Amino acid sequence: MGSTPYFYRWSSSALPWLFLISFLVLVWGLVWGIGYSPSDYKQGDVYRIIYIHVPSAILSQSIFIFMAVCGFINLIWRAKIAGMLIKSACNIGATFAFLVLITGSIWGKPTWGTWWVWDARLTSTLILFFIYLAIIGLHSSIDNKVKADRAVSILSIVGVGIIPIIKKSVDWWQTLHQPSTFKLTESPSMSPEMYLPLLVCVLGFYFMFFSILILQLKAEVLIREREKNWVRNLFNT
Amino acid sequence: MTLLWLKLIIKRDLLIAFRRSATFLMPFIFFLIVITFFPISLSPERTFLLNIAPGIIWVATLLSSLLAIESIFNEDYMDGTLDHFFIDTEPSFMLIFAKVFCHWMVTGGPILIAALLASIFLFLPLNIFVALLVSLTLGTIFLSLLGALGSALSLGKGAILTAVIVLPFSIPTLLFGTNVLNLALDGQPYSGYLLLMGAMVSIGIPVLCLLTSEAIKLYYE
Repeated sequence: MGSTPYFYRWSSSALPWLFLISFLVLVWGLVWGIGYSPSDYKQGDVYRIIYIHVPSAILSQSIFIFMAVCGFINLIWRAKIAGMLIKSACNIGATFAFLVLITGSIWGKPTWGTWWVWDARLTSTLILFFIYLAIIGLHSSIDNKVKADRAVSILSIVGVGIIPIIKKSVDWWQTLHQPSTFKLTESPSMSPEMYLPLLVCVLGFYFMFFSILILQLKAEVLIREREKNWVRNLFNT
Repeated sequence: MTLLWLKLIIKRDLLIAFRRSATFLMPFIFFLIVITFFPISLSPERTFLLNIAPGIIWVATLLSSLLAIESIFNEDYMDGTLDHFFIDTEPSFMLIFAKVFCHWMVTGGPILIAALLASIFLFLPLNIFVALLVSLTLGTIFLSLLGALGSALSLGKGAILTAVIVLPFSIPTLLFGTNVLNLALDGQPYSGYLLLMGAMVSIGIPVLCLLTSEAIKLYYE
């Protein structure tokens, strides 16, 4: 119970720095990638959308894992903050999944000739987006927010178990999509001038995610504890 | 003690289901109506229907099992029976298991029979009978488990929310199931997909039952 005022004070002092870092890293990565990296020999300059597309894709998947971890913590230790984190992370995750689909269509039109194909990766991203929306819908339909957090925790744990199965099961369609840019075990097939800025962009997106997450969490804490004394004191003095 | 209790719950649920013929007739009729729509709206041609038959059968299974899922906890929740189950000292995990089992008996069974009839309507050859039966059995069990979780999370909130929660998660079942039927139609080995479906069921029974009981407890605190 006492942890929310502490969190609020801590985040208020850390947040400006976090935003500053994410802004700097993002500017570094995006300017380097979009402005200075060489153009692709086949796709020309169109490929530069990769510096938004791939980081969003990575984020949209890792946010789900983050949510499931928060869900475990919320269900086992009944940690209030973890519950609120899921809700805030879910909104951001849905946004990133949407961004992947949009940038993917914009990229697909000039290179593949269509806005959309029923390809394995595209389909599983779409399903991921649906699952995000289902979680948001479930959360908003339960009035008691603590219970809503726990319901959403359960759903995100199921989701993290079943999403790999969805990805695998969808994989049997012949895929048009190029293979993953980054794998943990191999060095990327792109040239370093292209993938180094991409790595910086991914890092910048992560920083951006955490900055927005903490900002949203602060708002959530204030809304939920608006009757508490410490919030009242905050705004009265 | 727990076993006797389990038997009583199953007996009660089945008795309620069979006294009201709608519970097991509705999924059956709904399935056949959905199947009928495809030849009417697309094309009654034999080879065309044979091509899309696996997909149609699985979509119809998904929809009719989803349609019936509302009844699994909602009635007990409305009339207060569920409160008594959760006051009881017996493990709620077992209760969920019994509930899912009964639900599968009264909806999965009719769907299986309806699917066999549908395979005649869609000109499916007799030799895929085994593939159809086994894949549908495993699939409907998993769909019942998922549906139980969905309806527990959206208890008293209406069917559309349950559908939105459950449908994205049932995609692997749909894909594995249609793959089994397609391979069986081509005369290729399909046991790999059946094993995958079996694995999903055997992981799903403990994990999903546990999470479902956790979800119902949300409403009793």
